[in-house]
Amino acid sequence: MNDLLLAERIEKSFGPTRVLRGITLSVGREEVVGLFGPNGAGKTMLANVLSGLIPPDRGRILFEGKDITRLSMDARFRAGLARTFQIPGAYPTLTVVESIRVALLCGEAGQEGKRRLPRELEEEVESVLHRTGLFAQRFWMAAKLSQGCLRRLEFARAISCRPKLILLDEVFSALSAKDEGELTALLRSLRRDDGISFLLISHNPLILAEMCDRVVTIEDGRVTWEGKPADLAKYLPVAAGHDHGP
Amino acid sequence: MIFSPRSTTGALALGTGLLLLLPLAGLDHFLLDVLASGFLLAAYVGSWDIVGGVAGQICLGHALFFGTATYSCALLTSLAGWPFAAAAAAALLLSTTAAAVVGTFSGRLKGPFIALLTLALGELAHEVALGQTFFSPRGAYSWGGEGGIPVALPWGSPSPWASYYGALLFLFLSTWGMTRIARSKDGLIWTAISGSELTARASGVDVARHKRRAFLVAGLLAGAAGVGFAAHVGRATAADFSLELSFQAATFAAIGGRGTIVGPVLAALLLHALFQGAGIAPAARVLLYALALLLVLRFFPAGVAGTLRERVRERNMVPEGASR
Repeated sequence: MNDLLLAERIEKSFGPTRVLRGITLSVGREEVVGLFGPNGAGKTMLANVLSGLIPPDRGRILFEGKDITRLSMDARFRAGLARTFQIPGAYPTLTVVESIRVALLCGEAGQEGKRRLPRELEEEVESVLHRTGLFAQRFWMAAKLSQGCLRRLEFARAISCRPKLILLDEVFSALSAKDEGELTALLRSLRRDDGISFLLISHNPLILAEMCDRVVTIEDGRVTWEGKPADLAKYLPVAAGHDHGP
Repeated sequence: MIFSPRSTTGALALGTGLLLLLPLAGLDHFLLDVLASGFLLAAYVGSWDIVGGVAGQICLGHALFFGTATYSCALLTSLAGWPFAAAAAAALLLSTTAAAVVGTFSGRLKGPFIALLTLALGELAHEVALGQTFFSPRGAYSWGGEGGIPVALPWGSPSPWASYYGALLFLFLSTWGMTRIARSKDGLIWTAISGSELTARASGVDVARHKRRAFLVAGLLAGAAGVGFAAHVGRATAADFSLELSFQAATFAAIGGRGTIVGPVLAALLLHALFQGAGIAPAARVLLYALALLLVLRFFPAGVAGTLRERVRERNMVPEGASR
Protein backbone atom coordinates (compact mmCIF):
# COMPACT_ATOMS: atom_id res chain seq x y z
CA MET A 1 0.00 0.00 0.00
CA ASN A 2 1.47 3.33 -1.11
CA ASP A 3 -1.07 5.60 0.53
CA LEU A 4 0.19 7.32 3.65
CA LEU A 5 -3.34 8.34 4.59
CA LEU A 6 -6.49 6.73 3.32
CA ALA A 7 -9.90 7.91 4.43
CA GLU A 8 -12.71 5.68 3.18
CA ARG A 9 -16.40 6.58 2.94
CA ILE A 10 -16.25 9.14 5.73
CA GLU A 11 -19.68 10.28 6.89
CA LYS A 12 -20.56 12.85 9.53
CA SER A 13 -23.94 14.34 10.42
CA PHE A 14 -25.17 16.77 13.03
CA GLY A 15 -28.84 15.99 13.53
CA PRO A 16 -30.49 16.13 10.11
CA THR A 17 -27.53 18.02 8.57
CA ARG A 18 -25.22 15.70 6.66
CA VAL A 19 -21.85 17.45 6.57
CA LEU A 20 -19.71 14.67 5.08
CA ARG A 21 -21.42 12.20 2.73
CA GLY A 22 -19.09 9.28 2.16
CA ILE A 23 -15.85 11.05 1.29
CA THR A 24 -12.94 8.90 0.17
CA LEU A 25 -9.56 10.60 0.02
CA SER A 26 -5.94 9.52 -0.03
CA VAL A 27 -2.57 11.21 0.43
CA GLY A 28 0.59 9.47 -0.78
CA ARG A 29 4.06 9.63 0.71
CA GLU A 30 5.81 12.95 0.04
CA GLU A 31 2.71 14.11 -1.81
CA VAL A 32 1.00 17.48 -1.47
CA VAL A 33 -2.74 17.18 -1.98
CA GLY A 34 -4.92 20.26 -2.20
CA LEU A 35 -8.47 20.30 -0.85
CA PHE A 36 -10.62 22.89 -2.55
CA GLY A 37 -14.27 23.81 -2.23
CA PRO A 38 -16.75 26.56 -1.43
CA ASN A 39 -17.57 27.74 2.08
CA GLY A 40 -19.54 25.11 3.97
CA ALA A 41 -18.42 22.30 1.65
CA GLY A 42 -17.03 20.32 4.62
CA LYS A 43 -13.29 20.94 4.18
CA THR A 44 -12.57 21.89 7.78
CA MET A 45 -14.91 19.18 9.06
CA LEU A 46 -12.95 16.64 7.02
CA ALA A 47 -9.71 17.98 8.55
CA ASN A 48 -11.30 17.69 12.01
CA VAL A 49 -12.25 14.07 11.35
CA LEU A 50 -8.87 13.18 9.84
CA SER A 51 -6.97 14.78 12.73
CA GLY A 52 -9.10 13.06 15.38
CA LEU A 53 -10.80 16.17 16.73
CA ILE A 54 -14.24 14.82 15.77
CA PRO A 55 -15.05 11.11 15.29
CA PRO A 56 -16.78 10.12 12.04
CA ASP A 57 -20.21 8.47 12.11
CA ARG A 58 -19.11 5.98 9.47
CA GLY A 59 -16.06 5.11 7.45
CA ARG A 60 -12.49 4.40 8.44
CA ILE A 61 -9.14 6.16 8.36
CA LEU A 62 -5.90 4.33 7.71
CA PHE A 63 -2.53 5.94 8.41
CA GLU A 64 0.51 3.99 7.26
CA GLY A 65 -1.82 1.04 6.87
CA LYS A 66 -3.03 1.16 10.48
CA ASP A 67 -6.63 1.91 11.40
CA ILE A 68 -6.62 5.19 13.37
CA THR A 69 -10.35 5.89 13.15
CA ARG A 70 -10.82 5.77 16.93
CA LEU A 71 -7.42 7.20 17.86
CA SER A 72 -7.47 10.50 19.78
CA MET A 73 -6.03 13.69 18.32
CA ASP A 74 -2.99 13.68 20.63
CA ALA A 75 -2.25 10.03 19.79
CA ARG A 76 -2.41 10.84 16.05
CA PHE A 77 0.08 13.67 16.61
CA ARG A 78 2.44 11.27 18.34
CA ALA A 79 1.94 8.83 15.47
CA GLY A 80 3.10 11.50 13.01
CA LEU A 81 -0.16 13.07 11.83
CA ALA A 82 -0.11 16.78 12.74
CA ARG A 83 -2.41 19.63 11.86
CA THR A 84 -2.71 23.40 11.94
CA PHE A 85 -5.90 25.37 12.50
CA GLN A 86 -7.69 27.98 10.43
CA ILE A 87 -7.46 30.33 13.41
CA PRO A 88 -3.98 29.77 14.87
CA GLY A 89 -4.18 28.42 18.40
CA ALA A 90 -1.53 29.44 20.90
CA TYR A 91 -0.84 29.35 24.62
CA PRO A 92 -1.12 33.06 25.51
CA THR A 93 1.08 32.93 28.62
CA LEU A 94 3.83 30.73 27.19
CA THR A 95 6.74 32.01 25.16
CA VAL A 96 7.53 30.69 21.70
CA VAL A 97 10.32 28.52 23.13
CA GLU A 98 8.02 27.05 25.78
CA SER A 99 5.25 26.39 23.24
CA ILE A 100 7.64 24.44 21.03
CA ARG A 101 9.04 22.61 24.05
CA VAL A 102 5.53 21.34 24.92
CA ALA A 103 5.07 19.86 21.44
CA LEU A 104 8.56 18.33 21.46
CA LEU A 105 8.07 16.80 24.92
CA CYS A 106 4.69 15.33 24.05
CA GLY A 107 5.63 14.33 20.53
CA GLU A 108 8.73 12.50 21.67
CA ALA A 109 6.69 9.43 22.58
CA GLY A 110 6.42 8.87 18.85
CA GLN A 111 10.18 8.91 18.30
CA GLU A 112 10.53 5.14 18.61
CA GLY A 113 10.31 5.34 22.38
CA LYS A 114 13.51 7.38 22.53
CA ARG A 115 13.57 10.01 25.26
CA ARG A 116 15.69 13.06 24.65
CA LEU A 117 18.22 14.35 27.11
CA PRO A 118 17.54 17.94 28.22
CA ARG A 119 20.47 19.17 26.09
CA GLU A 120 19.16 17.29 23.05
CA LEU A 121 15.71 18.76 23.63
CA GLU A 122 17.08 22.30 23.72
CA GLU A 123 19.10 21.67 20.55
CA GLU A 124 15.95 20.47 18.85
CA VAL A 125 13.99 23.52 20.08
CA GLU A 126 16.70 25.74 18.59
CA SER A 127 16.62 23.82 15.31
CA VAL A 128 12.83 24.22 15.04
CA LEU A 129 13.17 27.94 15.86
CA HIS A 130 15.70 28.43 13.08
CA ARG A 131 13.75 26.41 10.54
CA THR A 132 10.53 28.30 11.15
CA GLY A 133 12.21 31.71 11.37
CA LEU A 134 11.09 32.30 14.95
CA PHE A 135 14.51 32.59 16.59
CA ALA A 136 14.28 36.37 17.06
CA GLN A 137 10.88 35.98 18.73
CA ARG A 138 11.82 33.00 20.89
CA PHE A 139 11.21 34.80 24.18
CA TRP A 140 8.00 36.48 23.04
CA MET A 141 4.77 35.46 24.66
CA ALA A 142 2.42 33.95 22.08
CA ALA A 143 -0.21 36.57 22.93
CA LYS A 144 2.12 39.25 21.53
CA LEU A 145 2.87 37.56 18.19
CA SER A 146 1.74 38.85 14.80
CA GLN A 147 -0.54 36.73 12.59
CA GLY A 148 2.45 35.69 10.47
CA CYS A 149 4.45 34.60 13.52
CA LEU A 150 1.44 32.72 14.89
CA ARG A 151 1.27 30.78 11.62
CA ARG A 152 4.97 30.00 11.92
CA LEU A 153 4.39 28.86 15.50
CA GLU A 154 1.67 26.54 14.20
CA PHE A 155 4.20 25.07 11.77
CA ALA A 156 6.80 24.83 14.53
CA ARG A 157 4.34 22.94 16.72
CA ALA A 158 3.30 20.69 13.86
CA ILE A 159 6.84 19.68 12.83
CA SER A 160 7.87 18.98 16.43
CA CYS A 161 6.62 15.39 16.26
CA ARG A 162 8.66 14.79 13.07
CA PRO A 163 5.39 14.25 11.23
CA LYS A 164 4.84 12.26 8.13
CA LEU A 165 1.75 14.23 7.22
CA ILE A 166 0.53 17.70 8.14
CA LEU A 167 -3.05 18.88 7.56
CA LEU A 168 -2.91 22.59 6.79
CA ASP A 169 -6.28 24.30 7.21
CA GLU A 170 -6.36 27.66 5.38
CA VAL A 171 -2.80 28.28 6.44
CA PHE A 172 -2.32 31.18 4.02
CA SER A 173 -5.42 33.15 5.01
CA ALA A 174 -5.07 36.66 6.53
CA LEU A 175 -1.35 36.83 5.78
CA SER A 176 0.69 39.60 4.18
CA ALA A 177 2.32 38.83 0.82
CA LYS A 178 5.72 38.66 2.56
CA ASP A 179 4.48 36.19 5.19
CA GLU A 180 2.74 34.14 2.51
CA GLY A 181 5.95 33.93 0.47
CA GLU A 182 8.00 32.90 3.49
CA LEU A 183 5.49 30.25 4.57
CA THR A 184 5.39 28.85 1.03
CA ALA A 185 9.20 28.55 1.10
CA LEU A 186 9.01 26.86 4.52
CA LEU A 187 6.42 24.38 3.27
CA ARG A 188 8.59 23.57 0.26
CA SER A 189 11.68 23.04 2.40
CA LEU A 190 9.78 20.74 4.78
CA ARG A 191 8.64 18.65 1.86
CA ARG A 192 12.07 18.60 0.18
CA ASP A 193 14.26 18.06 3.26
CA ASP A 194 11.97 16.01 5.52
CA GLY A 195 9.75 14.28 2.98
CA ILE A 196 6.62 15.46 4.76
CA SER A 197 3.29 15.04 2.98
CA PHE A 198 0.65 17.76 3.17
CA LEU A 199 -3.09 17.99 2.83
CA LEU A 200 -3.47 21.66 1.98
CA ILE A 201 -6.94 23.11 2.49
CA SER A 202 -7.29 26.43 0.73
CA HIS A 203 -9.74 28.77 -0.95
CA ASN A 204 -6.97 30.04 -3.16
CA PRO A 205 -6.69 28.10 -6.47
CA LEU A 206 -3.44 29.87 -7.34
CA ILE A 207 -1.70 28.58 -4.21
CA LEU A 208 -3.07 25.08 -4.80
CA ALA A 209 -1.89 25.15 -8.40
CA GLU A 210 1.55 26.28 -7.25
CA MET A 211 2.02 23.91 -4.33
CA CYS A 212 0.10 20.71 -4.99
CA ASP A 213 0.67 17.48 -6.88
CA ARG A 214 -3.04 16.73 -6.91
CA VAL A 215 -6.21 18.62 -6.06
CA VAL A 216 -9.47 17.22 -4.71
CA THR A 217 -12.57 19.40 -4.73
CA ILE A 218 -15.50 18.83 -2.45
CA GLU A 219 -18.96 20.33 -2.39
CA ASP A 220 -21.85 19.61 -0.09
CA GLY A 221 -19.84 16.93 1.70
CA ARG A 222 -18.97 14.95 -1.44
CA VAL A 223 -15.89 14.68 -3.62
CA THR A 224 -16.83 16.33 -6.92
CA TRP A 225 -13.56 16.39 -8.79
CA GLU A 226 -10.01 15.13 -8.54
CA GLY A 227 -7.13 15.86 -10.84
CA LYS A 228 -3.98 17.77 -11.59
CA PRO A 229 -3.71 21.34 -10.29
CA ALA A 230 -3.31 22.62 -13.84
CA ASP A 231 -6.78 21.28 -14.62
CA LEU A 232 -8.38 23.02 -11.65
CA ALA A 233 -9.34 25.91 -13.93
CA LYS A 234 -11.59 23.49 -15.81
CA TYR A 235 -13.41 22.73 -12.58
CA LEU A 236 -13.71 26.31 -11.39
CA PRO A 237 -16.28 27.51 -13.96
CA VAL A 238 -18.54 24.66 -12.84
CA ALA A 239 -18.52 26.09 -9.34
CA ALA A 240 -18.66 29.71 -10.51
CA GLY A 241 -22.02 30.12 -8.87
CA HIS A 242 -20.47 29.42 -5.44
CA ASP A 243 -18.41 31.66 -3.26
CA HIS A 244 -14.79 30.55 -3.46
CA GLY A 245 -13.47 33.70 -1.87
CA PRO A 246 -12.24 33.73 1.72
CA MET B 1 16.20 38.22 37.63
CA ILE B 2 13.06 37.82 39.72
CA PHE B 3 11.01 34.63 39.18
CA SER B 4 14.12 32.63 38.23
CA PRO B 5 14.35 29.29 40.12
CA ARG B 6 17.40 30.41 42.09
CA SER B 7 15.90 33.74 43.14
CA THR B 8 12.62 32.07 44.13
CA THR B 9 14.44 29.56 46.34
CA GLY B 10 16.56 32.38 47.78
CA ALA B 11 13.49 34.49 48.54
CA LEU B 12 11.78 31.48 50.12
CA ALA B 13 14.82 30.79 52.31
CA LEU B 14 15.05 34.47 53.29
CA GLY B 15 11.34 34.67 54.13
CA THR B 16 11.53 31.47 56.14
CA GLY B 17 14.62 32.77 57.96
CA LEU B 18 12.75 35.92 58.97
CA LEU B 19 9.74 33.91 60.11
CA LEU B 20 12.05 31.64 62.12
CA LEU B 21 13.19 34.67 64.11
CA LEU B 22 9.79 36.35 64.36
CA PRO B 23 8.62 34.56 67.57
CA LEU B 24 11.73 35.87 69.31
CA ALA B 25 10.27 39.38 68.91
CA GLY B 26 7.87 38.46 71.71
CA LEU B 27 4.76 37.23 69.89
CA ASP B 28 2.04 36.05 72.25
CA HIS B 29 0.36 32.67 71.98
CA PHE B 30 -2.60 34.10 70.09
CA LEU B 31 -0.40 35.53 67.33
CA LEU B 32 1.68 32.35 67.18
CA ASP B 33 -1.57 30.42 66.70
CA VAL B 34 -2.78 32.85 64.01
CA LEU B 35 0.50 32.54 62.11
CA ALA B 36 0.63 28.73 62.40
CA SER B 37 -2.92 28.57 60.96
CA GLY B 38 -1.82 31.08 58.32
CA PHE B 39 1.12 28.87 57.26
CA LEU B 40 -1.20 25.89 56.80
CA LEU B 41 -3.81 27.98 54.99
CA ALA B 42 -1.07 29.38 52.70
CA ALA B 43 0.12 25.85 51.83
CA TYR B 44 -3.50 24.88 51.10
CA VAL B 45 -3.91 27.93 48.83
CA GLY B 46 -0.66 26.99 47.07
CA SER B 47 -2.12 23.54 46.39
CA TRP B 48 -5.18 25.22 44.81
CA ASP B 49 -2.83 27.19 42.59
CA ILE B 50 -1.34 23.97 41.21
CA VAL B 51 -4.68 22.89 39.74
CA GLY B 52 -6.51 26.23 39.50
CA GLY B 53 -3.61 28.46 38.48
CA VAL B 54 -0.89 26.43 36.78
CA ALA B 55 -3.28 23.91 35.17
CA GLY B 56 -6.12 26.45 34.84
CA GLN B 57 -8.85 24.11 36.11
CA ILE B 58 -11.02 26.31 38.32
CA CYS B 59 -11.72 24.13 41.34
CA LEU B 60 -14.45 25.62 43.54
CA GLY B 61 -14.61 22.65 45.90
CA HIS B 62 -10.95 22.43 46.87
CA ALA B 63 -11.89 22.20 50.55
CA LEU B 64 -13.12 18.67 49.73
CA PHE B 65 -9.50 17.43 49.76
CA PHE B 66 -8.59 19.45 52.86
CA GLY B 67 -11.69 18.31 54.78
CA THR B 68 -11.25 14.69 53.69
CA ALA B 69 -7.85 14.75 55.38
CA THR B 70 -8.99 16.44 58.61
CA TYR B 71 -12.03 14.16 58.97
CA SER B 72 -9.95 11.07 58.19
CA CYS B 73 -7.51 12.03 60.96
CA ALA B 74 -10.39 12.66 63.37
CA LEU B 75 -12.39 9.52 62.62
CA LEU B 76 -9.44 7.16 62.40
CA THR B 77 -7.82 8.37 65.63
CA SER B 78 -10.90 9.00 67.79
CA LEU B 79 -13.28 6.37 66.46
CA ALA B 80 -11.01 3.61 65.14
CA GLY B 81 -8.23 4.22 67.66
CA TRP B 82 -5.47 4.39 65.06
CA PRO B 83 -2.19 6.07 65.96
CA PHE B 84 -1.99 9.58 64.52
CA ALA B 85 0.87 8.76 62.11
CA ALA B 86 -1.11 5.90 60.52
CA ALA B 87 -4.24 8.05 60.38
CA ALA B 88 -2.24 10.84 58.72
CA ALA B 89 -0.93 8.44 56.06
CA ALA B 90 -4.45 7.13 55.43
CA ALA B 91 -5.75 10.72 55.30
CA LEU B 92 -3.24 11.57 52.58
CA LEU B 93 -4.25 8.47 50.66
CA LEU B 94 -7.96 9.30 50.97
CA SER B 95 -7.60 12.97 49.97
CA THR B 96 -5.51 11.90 46.97
CA THR B 97 -8.15 9.30 46.07
CA ALA B 98 -10.85 11.98 46.27
CA ALA B 99 -8.72 14.15 43.98
CA ALA B 100 -8.25 11.23 41.57
CA VAL B 101 -12.03 10.77 41.37
CA VAL B 102 -12.62 14.50 40.80
CA GLY B 103 -9.75 14.61 38.29
CA THR B 104 -11.14 11.65 36.37
CA PHE B 105 -14.56 13.25 36.08
CA SER B 106 -12.98 16.61 35.19
CA GLY B 107 -10.84 15.08 32.45
CA ARG B 108 -13.53 15.40 29.83
CA LEU B 109 -15.07 18.61 31.15
CA LYS B 110 -14.09 22.19 30.46
CA GLY B 111 -14.04 25.54 32.27
CA PRO B 112 -17.32 26.33 34.01
CA PHE B 113 -18.38 22.68 34.11
CA ILE B 114 -15.31 21.75 36.16
CA ALA B 115 -16.05 24.68 38.47
CA LEU B 116 -19.65 23.48 38.87
CA LEU B 117 -18.68 19.82 39.40
CA THR B 118 -16.11 20.66 42.08
CA LEU B 119 -18.47 23.16 43.70
CA ALA B 120 -21.22 20.53 43.89
CA LEU B 121 -18.94 17.81 45.29
CA GLY B 122 -17.40 20.15 47.86
CA GLU B 123 -20.77 21.41 49.02
CA LEU B 124 -22.14 17.85 49.18
CA ALA B 125 -19.30 16.87 51.50
CA HIS B 126 -19.91 20.02 53.56
CA GLU B 127 -23.61 19.26 54.00
CA VAL B 128 -22.87 15.65 54.97
CA ALA B 129 -20.29 16.76 57.53
CA LEU B 130 -22.63 19.43 58.86
CA GLY B 131 -25.60 17.16 59.29
CA GLN B 132 -24.08 13.92 60.51
CA THR B 133 -23.87 12.88 64.15
CA PHE B 134 -23.86 9.13 63.57
CA PHE B 135 -20.23 8.70 64.60
CA SER B 136 -21.00 9.94 68.13
CA PRO B 137 -19.83 7.54 70.85
CA ARG B 138 -22.59 6.12 73.09
CA GLY B 139 -23.22 7.96 76.30
CA ALA B 140 -20.90 10.82 75.37
CA TYR B 141 -21.27 14.26 73.88
CA SER B 142 -22.57 14.33 70.33
CA TRP B 143 -19.93 14.41 67.61
CA GLY B 144 -20.28 16.02 64.24
CA GLY B 145 -22.20 19.02 62.98
CA GLU B 146 -20.74 22.43 63.68
CA GLY B 147 -18.82 21.10 66.69
CA GLY B 148 -16.93 18.56 64.63
CA ILE B 149 -15.02 15.49 65.75
CA PRO B 150 -11.93 15.57 67.98
CA VAL B 151 -8.57 14.33 66.71
CA ALA B 152 -6.82 12.09 69.26
CA LEU B 153 -3.29 13.50 69.28
CA PRO B 154 -0.47 11.62 71.00
CA TRP B 155 0.94 14.90 72.31
CA GLY B 156 -2.37 16.14 73.72
CA SER B 157 -2.57 19.87 73.17
CA PRO B 158 0.44 20.97 71.09
CA SER B 159 2.55 23.88 72.31
CA PRO B 160 2.09 27.08 70.24
CA TRP B 161 5.84 27.13 69.52
CA ALA B 162 5.87 23.57 68.19
CA SER B 163 2.81 24.31 66.04
CA TYR B 164 4.39 27.49 64.73
CA TYR B 165 7.70 25.93 63.72
CA GLY B 166 6.14 22.70 62.46
CA ALA B 167 3.69 24.61 60.24
CA LEU B 168 6.47 26.94 59.05
CA LEU B 169 8.64 23.97 58.05
CA PHE B 170 5.70 22.43 56.21
CA LEU B 171 4.97 25.71 54.38
CA PHE B 172 8.60 26.11 53.33
CA LEU B 173 8.92 22.55 52.05
CA SER B 174 5.54 22.48 50.31
CA THR B 175 6.03 25.88 48.63
CA TRP B 176 9.50 24.90 47.45
CA GLY B 177 8.09 21.63 46.13
CA MET B 178 5.17 23.36 44.42
CA THR B 179 7.41 25.91 42.68
CA ARG B 180 9.56 23.00 41.45
CA ILE B 181 6.47 21.23 40.13
CA ALA B 182 5.23 24.41 38.41
CA ARG B 183 8.62 24.70 36.64
CA SER B 184 8.81 21.01 35.73
CA LYS B 185 7.87 19.34 32.46
CA ASP B 186 4.44 18.57 33.92
CA GLY B 187 4.03 22.19 35.05
CA LEU B 188 4.82 23.40 31.53
CA ILE B 189 2.29 21.02 30.00
CA TRP B 190 -0.35 22.02 32.57
CA THR B 191 0.24 25.69 31.73
CA ALA B 192 -0.22 24.83 28.05
CA ILE B 193 -3.54 23.10 28.84
CA SER B 194 -4.55 26.18 30.81
CA GLY B 195 -3.82 28.35 27.75
CA SER B 196 -5.55 26.26 25.08
CA GLU B 197 -6.76 22.70 25.47
CA LEU B 198 -7.29 22.37 21.73
CA THR B 199 -3.75 23.45 20.85
CA ALA B 200 -2.42 21.18 23.60
CA ARG B 201 -4.27 18.21 22.12
CA ALA B 202 -2.94 19.11 18.68
CA SER B 203 0.56 19.15 20.25
CA GLY B 204 0.27 15.59 21.48
CA VAL B 205 -0.83 16.33 25.04
CA ASP B 206 -3.09 13.72 26.63
CA VAL B 207 -5.24 16.41 28.25
CA ALA B 208 -7.45 14.16 30.39
CA ARG B 209 -4.43 12.35 31.88
CA HIS B 210 -2.63 15.58 32.68
CA LYS B 211 -5.71 17.17 34.25
CA ARG B 212 -6.09 14.10 36.46
CA ARG B 213 -2.44 14.32 37.43
CA ALA B 214 -2.76 18.02 38.33
CA PHE B 215 -5.76 17.20 40.54
CA LEU B 216 -3.82 14.34 42.15
CA VAL B 217 -0.87 16.54 43.08
CA ALA B 218 -3.14 19.35 44.31
CA GLY B 219 -5.29 16.92 46.30
CA LEU B 220 -2.25 15.34 47.94
CA LEU B 221 -0.88 18.75 48.97
CA ALA B 222 -4.27 20.02 50.17
CA GLY B 223 -4.58 16.78 52.14
CA ALA B 224 -1.14 17.35 53.68
CA ALA B 225 -2.25 20.84 54.73
CA GLY B 226 -5.41 19.24 56.19
CA VAL B 227 -3.35 16.74 58.21
CA GLY B 228 -1.26 19.63 59.53
CA PHE B 229 -4.42 21.55 60.42
CA ALA B 230 -5.88 18.53 62.21
CA ALA B 231 -2.66 18.19 64.21
CA HIS B 232 -2.64 21.91 64.99
CA VAL B 233 -6.31 22.43 65.91
CA GLY B 234 -7.05 18.93 67.24
CA ARG B 235 -10.51 18.84 65.71
CA ALA B 236 -12.17 18.34 62.33
CA THR B 237 -15.24 20.51 61.77
CA ALA B 238 -17.70 20.98 58.91
CA ALA B 239 -15.95 24.29 58.18
CA ASP B 240 -13.03 22.24 56.79
CA PHE B 241 -15.29 21.37 53.83
CA SER B 242 -16.90 24.78 53.60
CA LEU B 243 -17.55 26.81 50.50
CA GLU B 244 -15.85 29.72 52.25
CA LEU B 245 -12.60 27.77 52.51
CA SER B 246 -12.81 26.79 48.83
CA PHE B 247 -13.55 30.36 47.73
CA GLN B 248 -10.77 31.73 49.95
CA ALA B 249 -8.26 29.66 47.99
CA ALA B 250 -9.50 31.03 44.65
CA THR B 251 -9.62 34.59 46.05
CA PHE B 252 -6.10 34.53 47.49
CA ALA B 253 -4.79 33.01 44.26
CA ALA B 254 -6.41 35.77 42.20
CA ILE B 255 -4.91 38.40 44.51
CA GLY B 256 -1.44 36.87 44.51
CA GLY B 257 -1.38 35.92 40.84
CA ARG B 258 -2.75 32.63 39.54
CA GLY B 259 -0.11 30.16 38.43
CA THR B 260 2.77 31.79 40.29
CA ILE B 261 2.50 29.64 43.49
CA VAL B 262 4.51 32.12 45.57
CA GLY B 263 1.99 34.94 44.94
CA PRO B 264 -1.07 33.05 46.24
CA VAL B 265 0.94 31.64 49.17
CA LEU B 266 2.09 35.11 50.23
CA ALA B 267 -1.35 36.66 49.68
CA ALA B 268 -2.98 34.02 51.88
CA LEU B 269 -0.38 34.35 54.61
CA LEU B 270 -0.35 38.15 54.71
CA LEU B 271 -4.10 38.71 54.50
CA HIS B 272 -4.90 35.94 56.99
CA ALA B 273 -2.30 37.19 59.46
CA LEU B 274 -3.41 40.80 59.03
CA PHE B 275 -7.15 40.36 59.35
CA GLN B 276 -7.25 37.46 61.82
CA GLY B 277 -4.38 38.88 63.86
CA ALA B 278 -6.34 42.13 64.15
CA GLY B 279 -9.23 40.12 65.60
CA ILE B 280 -11.68 40.98 62.80
CA ALA B 281 -14.86 38.90 62.83
CA PRO B 282 -15.14 36.13 60.16
CA ALA B 283 -18.05 37.79 58.31
CA ALA B 284 -16.16 41.09 58.11
CA ARG B 285 -13.03 39.26 56.96
CA VAL B 286 -14.90 37.88 53.93
CA LEU B 287 -15.88 41.44 52.97
CA LEU B 288 -12.29 42.62 53.42
CA TYR B 289 -10.98 39.79 51.25
CA ALA B 290 -13.45 40.78 48.51
CA LEU B 291 -12.37 44.42 48.84
CA ALA B 292 -8.70 43.44 48.63
CA LEU B 293 -9.46 41.39 45.52
CA LEU B 294 -11.20 44.32 43.80
CA LEU B 295 -8.41 46.73 44.69
CA VAL B 296 -5.63 44.41 43.56
CA LEU B 297 -7.31 43.51 40.27
CA ARG B 298 -7.77 47.24 39.55
CA PHE B 299 -4.00 47.77 39.52
CA PHE B 300 -2.72 44.23 38.93
CA PRO B 301 -5.11 42.51 36.49
CA ALA B 302 -3.27 39.19 36.70
CA GLY B 303 -2.76 39.41 40.48
CA VAL B 304 0.33 40.97 42.06
CA ALA B 305 2.94 38.33 41.21
CA GLY B 306 1.19 37.43 37.95
CA THR B 307 1.29 41.01 36.67
CA LEU B 308 4.91 41.44 37.76
CA ARG B 309 5.84 38.23 35.98
CA GLU B 310 4.14 39.45 32.80
CA ARG B 311 6.11 42.70 32.97
CA VAL B 312 9.38 40.82 33.43
CA ARG B 313 8.55 38.60 30.47
CA GLU B 314 7.68 41.60 28.30
CA ARG B 315 11.01 43.16 29.21
CA ASN B 316 12.77 39.96 28.17
CA MET B 317 11.15 39.96 24.73
CA VAL B 318 13.88 40.55 22.17
CA PRO B 319 12.97 42.96 19.39
CA GLU B 320 12.89 41.38 15.94
CA GLY B 321 16.35 41.38 14.41
CA ALA B 322 18.15 42.16 17.69
CA SER B 323 20.63 39.73 19.17
CA ARG B 324 20.83 38.83 22.85
